Amino acid sequence: MAAVEQQPLQTETFGQRLRAWLTRLVISQEGILLIITIIAMLVLSTQSDRFLTARNLTREAVLLFEVAMMALPMTYIIITGGIDLSVGSIFGMSAIILGFAWQDAGLPLELAIAIGILSGMIAGFVNGLFIVRVGVPPLIMTLATLALYRGMALGISQARSARGFPDWFYEVGRGDFLGLPWQIWILGAAILISAIVLARTSFGRGLYAIGNNELGARFAGIPVDRYKLIIYTFSGFMSGVAAWIFTSRVSTTRSDMGTGIELDVIAAVVLGGTDIFGGSGTIAGTVIGLILIQVLKSGLLLSGVKGDATTVMVGAVLILAILINNLVGRFRS
Amino acid sequence: MEPILQLTNISKRFPGVQALDGVHFDICPGEVHALVGENGAGKSTMIKIISGVHRPDSGEIRIDGQPVEFNNPREATERGIATIYQELSLYPELTVAENIFMGHAPSSQVGPFRKINWGEMFDRAQEILASLNIHDMDVRRKVGSLSVGNRQRVEIAKALSINARILIMDEPTASLTEADVERLFEIVRLLRERGVGIIYISHRLQEVFELGDRVTVLRDGQYIDTKPVSETTEDELISMMVGRTIDNLFPKLPSEVREPVLEVRDLRRRPSVRGVSMQVRAGEIVGLAGLVGSGRSELAQTIFGITPAQSGEIFVNGQKVEIKTPAQAVKLGIAYVPEDRGTQGLIKEMTIRENVSMAVLPELARGGFIDFAREKTLAQEAIQQLNIRATSVQQIVAKLSGGNQQKVVVSKWLASKPRLLIMDEPTRGIDVGAKAEIHRLMSELAVQGIAILMISSELPEILGMSDRILVMREGRLVAEFSRDEATQENIAAAMMSAQMENNHLVMERSAR
Repeated sequence: MAAVEQQPLQTETFGQRLRAWLTRLVISQEGILLIITIIAMLVLSTQSDRFLTARNLTREAVLLFEVAMMALPMTYIIITGGIDLSVGSIFGMSAIILGFAWQDAGLPLELAIAIGILSGMIAGFVNGLFIVRVGVPPLIMTLATLALYRGMALGISQARSARGFPDWFYEVGRGDFLGLPWQIWILGAAILISAIVLARTSFGRGLYAIGNNELGARFAGIPVDRYKLIIYTFSGFMSGVAAWIFTSRVSTTRSDMGTGIELDVIAAVVLGGTDIFGGSGTIAGTVIGLILIQVLKSGLLLSGVKGDATTVMVGAVLILAILINNLVGRFRS
Repeated sequence: MEPILQLTNISKRFPGVQALDGVHFDICPGEVHALVGENGAGKSTMIKIISGVHRPDSGEIRIDGQPVEFNNPREATERGIATIYQELSLYPELTVAENIFMGHAPSSQVGPFRKINWGEMFDRAQEILASLNIHDMDVRRKVGSLSVGNRQRVEIAKALSINARILIMDEPTASLTEADVERLFEIVRLLRERGVGIIYISHRLQEVFELGDRVTVLRDGQYIDTKPVSETTEDELISMMVGRTIDNLFPKLPSEVREPVLEVRDLRRRPSVRGVSMQVRAGEIVGLAGLVGSGRSELAQTIFGITPAQSGEIFVNGQKVEIKTPAQAVKLGIAYVPEDRGTQGLIKEMTIRENVSMAVLPELARGGFIDFAREKTLAQEAIQQLNIRATSVQQIVAKLSGGNQQKVVVSKWLASKPRLLIMDEPTRGIDVGAKAEIHRLMSELAVQGIAILMISSELPEILGMSDRILVMREGRLVAEFSRDEATQENIAAAMMSAQMENNHLVMERSAR
């Protein structure tokens, strides 16, 4: 973050400034990832002529949607030095509660959607409350609720799934708006807002301060506890929204939805350059991290690589990206 | 008698501070050599050099007349030097015997493994404790379940298990009950009879007279003197410890003292703040003196809302207020420059710009959005105003020198335009130039009508800067002096020696 905002010295010419800016961009975490992503896309596009098409790319964006929605608050949380392992379980529980409220409790579907999202928020808030008030480490707390919320989803659903929603419900998951899937608009807006809040507001600044030195942030009068409560609640909210739109796309709810998705979310955030120990990271990095993983998965699949080999490749590229970044990081400092 | 350990002309410099400057020290077998000095006089640095934690920049260490160099604590241990620190370094989940023999348990080779001989270990632990006249301790008990006094006895036994010839005790009585203090003294005398040399560090001067054979005084890293205890007095030691000439480092300007800005009544926060009532007025610098652990920083942090008060009242500008969080304190116009720059005062990984604006982000932001232009201007002004030596506002704070880091902390709080500025050790560990600049700034701020509460362990700073001086001991205010009444001696006496009043050790000493 600091590198991007570095003030050029007044005596430099425009050309020098441009070059300095480009150098910084290229050796920044985001820059390296972007280059790797572009190379991956170019290589994969030579393997299959179906890969680099508008149709395929929008399809991939829709597949990416749920992980991406959860990766935004996860970026905030990891910047503060925390973690939220329970996002996948909140996702599953919200979907189940949505279906239960509509099908079993007989509530209007609009209200059921709101209740589903609200239950996600409450689940996130409970995480935050225990982390802040009781001082449970985020890893432990969200590991516990990973099991707890999934168990609640199983209990409420009784292994039954909700289906047969009215037609309008499927619009947001399958329909288009101005020629693009709804997911792309929603995700775009979410990315934009998350990025601006993180980079430009006192709240965002506070998150970096907490991640670098929580005690120092507290001593500077930053409302550390309130900020933490907000980000864990935000995480629950985004899982809830993702659950609603995912249900709309796949037209059914199942209690095991989103199992293991937290690992994809965390992988994208960390690959995007957010320090797992907190203190640095950007939304732009997370977005590139998300794209890189999705590009690899889809491109390799279209190139005829088998499913399990794809996973191996994705893992290898993750390690490669981190290695390159470490090397450049040494050069940077 | 030939000294076992002899230190000649030892110097040690840390960034920004000369911790030791040409210090001498020696210890003979069967001697208790007390080491006294104010906070920051260099006692801790010296014992860390003796125990191999730090290496001296210059000077010579001799053991039995042979020059030695310690590269790490293990090498010092092998030479028979054992240290008992203020914070005991035992493993609470292990037994007494395991702790005593940590790292050198009696064992025998079984194939590729070494097998611990548990029976032998328990027996030998029992023997060592018995040799210290400790017969009531179960060596199979976990250390975590023992009292502080018993844990300390385990530490001493541990030192004996490596045949220590020199035992360093750093404030051993700081957290002991009186009965435990008595038993500790018995053990110390026992060890002395056995020929162990004991380096004894304590703030409690009466213990020095109770136990010590000789006493060495350090002050500001300088060696002052070594005397036989029988040839000195408590008053003489205090004046040797504090007796610096007050130079004109402290440019205190006359300032008009106005209405009270802060008043606290019977403020309590267990365990360190036990009923404090005081006022700080606009235009006034109040110096808060006391030993480490007397509750000064805890009082400041209670006022600032980091550890909110459990009972008592706080008034700001005459209004009764509740302060539960630092954010509330900041809104009320209270600023706190904390004791520890690195962990409390700064976010060192972030830039000067981001640190300076940290406490005023809500005011710098419109609708939550930070006004980056104003933020940059603020940081540039701070750099100019406080003469911070930095390449740009974008410099990472960790790369600045100690003095310049402290100026960043101060400018962060000046940006919040405080009515009350609490400064906790404002010049600790910074060079003389930056120190003078910070003192001048404090003086100017007082003239402008800011109320300043300054915590300091340096008596010259307290005397030089304060309009009024409060002395804190064991969580309470125990003395108040005006600028004219205060002397190093009467402040130091209030900080330290009044413990004699309620301590039966004094009576014992006169009976001896």
